[in-house]
Amino acid sequence: MKTISVTVNGSVFEEDVPERLLLVDFLRDRLALTGTHVGCTHEGVCGACTVHLDGEAVKSCMMLAVQADGHAVTTVEGLARDDRLSALQEAFARHHGLQCGYCTPGILMNMTDFLTGNPDPSEDEIRHGLIGNLCRCTGYVHIVRAVKDAARVLRENTGGAR
Amino acid sequence: MYPARIEHYERPQSVAEALAALGRFEPGDAIFLAGGMSAMQAMKSRMLQPRCVIDLQDVAELQGVTREHGALRLGAMTRYAAIAADAAIPSAYQALRDAAAHVGDRQVRNRGTIGGSVSWNYVASCMPATVLGLRGAMLLAAADGSTRRVVADDFFLGPLETARRDDEILLAVEFPAPPAHCGSAYAKWGLIKDALPVVGICVMVGLDDDDKCVSARIALSGLADGCQRASAGEASLLDSEGDEQAIAVAMDAIAESVETQSDQSADADYRRQLIRSVGREVAARAFARARGQ
Repeated sequence: MKTISVTVNGSVFEEDVPERLLLVDFLRDRLALTGTHVGCTHEGVCGACTVHLDGEAVKSCMMLAVQADGHAVTTVEGLARDDRLSALQEAFARHHGLQCGYCTPGILMNMTDFLTGNPDPSEDEIRHGLIGNLCRCTGYVHIVRAVKDAARVLRENTGGAR
Repeated sequence: MYPARIEHYERPQSVAEALAALGRFEPGDAIFLAGGMSAMQAMKSRMLQPRCVIDLQDVAELQGVTREHGALRLGAMTRYAAIAADAAIPSAYQALRDAAAHVGDRQVRNRGTIGGSVSWNYVASCMPATVLGLRGAMLLAAADGSTRRVVADDFFLGPLETARRDDEILLAVEFPAPPAHCGSAYAKWGLIKDALPVVGICVMVGLDDDDKCVSARIALSGLADGCQRASAGEASLLDSEGDEQAIAVAMDAIAESVETQSDQSADADYRRQLIRSVGREVAARAFARARGQ
């Protein structure tokens, strides 16, 4: 067992965890933040468990919770501010960027990070950015549309992502 | 899937601390964790069952890219995303950026490191063949304070095998100052975009003042024996001007001389064809870069 201190969505959590515990299981089972999904039984291929580690998109099934000690994690629950959805979340709703919704949290986290570095992405760049997230429902068309539109909104409203 | 049981987790702050932690365990009982993109998978499948994981994330000596007199040094913990974004990498070593920009996906590139990849030396990975093609060298340190440099040709011994000893840590991957008119490129073909290479090829060429090829290195990934030089193609490119015909002849020579395997991804003949088609594109790009285009 190891005592770790992790800032998750702005709050500090101090927990005793077994060394083998995956970050995704820490988030879901310990902190009850079940918005972060497990799609491929922790094999690192589906991207549903994507969260931000110090602002960067990473797969939380490919990390031990102890590795996050001292770091800041943001999950999909942390995207909305003051009960207002983020521009990307709103764009997903507007463009029907989800059907079953299982992959959506991971895609939102990956693309939120993507848009901070690519405020005006082409469709090709968006599709390349989405490689790490599997969606079995949508065929990605509406997802790509939502990301592109969110980029436009962010550029107009804030002069940059977020 | 849960990883195998881990008894100890160490997060050293320096290379000396990392090696000291390693020394407290029997050989093989402790592993270094870099980005973890391979090691985590291996721990989940029980291929690795370490008693101790030594997480290298805080070791400053393993971070960062430095350039000195044209030579390039990538700290072992340099991540793919950083390599792909590094516009200051010279044309001679652009293959590094080609490869890093297409490893896995964004999430993998945000975590995975060049040091982890070359140390793991998986057959279907991009970095070992790229480092081999670019005549890189691995800088290793041992607990007694000694360091040694092992050139890629001597470092990559076979699938999942390297010359790194159990008591050593990889500090950096180094590339010598390239001569003038030098260019490189890397590309791969996988079953889906940016997937593990079924075949990957790195080409590095040096030209004289008349654009004639005076040096050539070609390395392959995706073959059962692990990353390897393609000497038949290297010899064939020498003295050429890198025109379409010369490149095609060189890639044919490689396709006919290397041993390719049949597996679930591709059969042996298809791999030969991939070497020809991917190789032509890569070599043309390497020559163009060497010419400053």
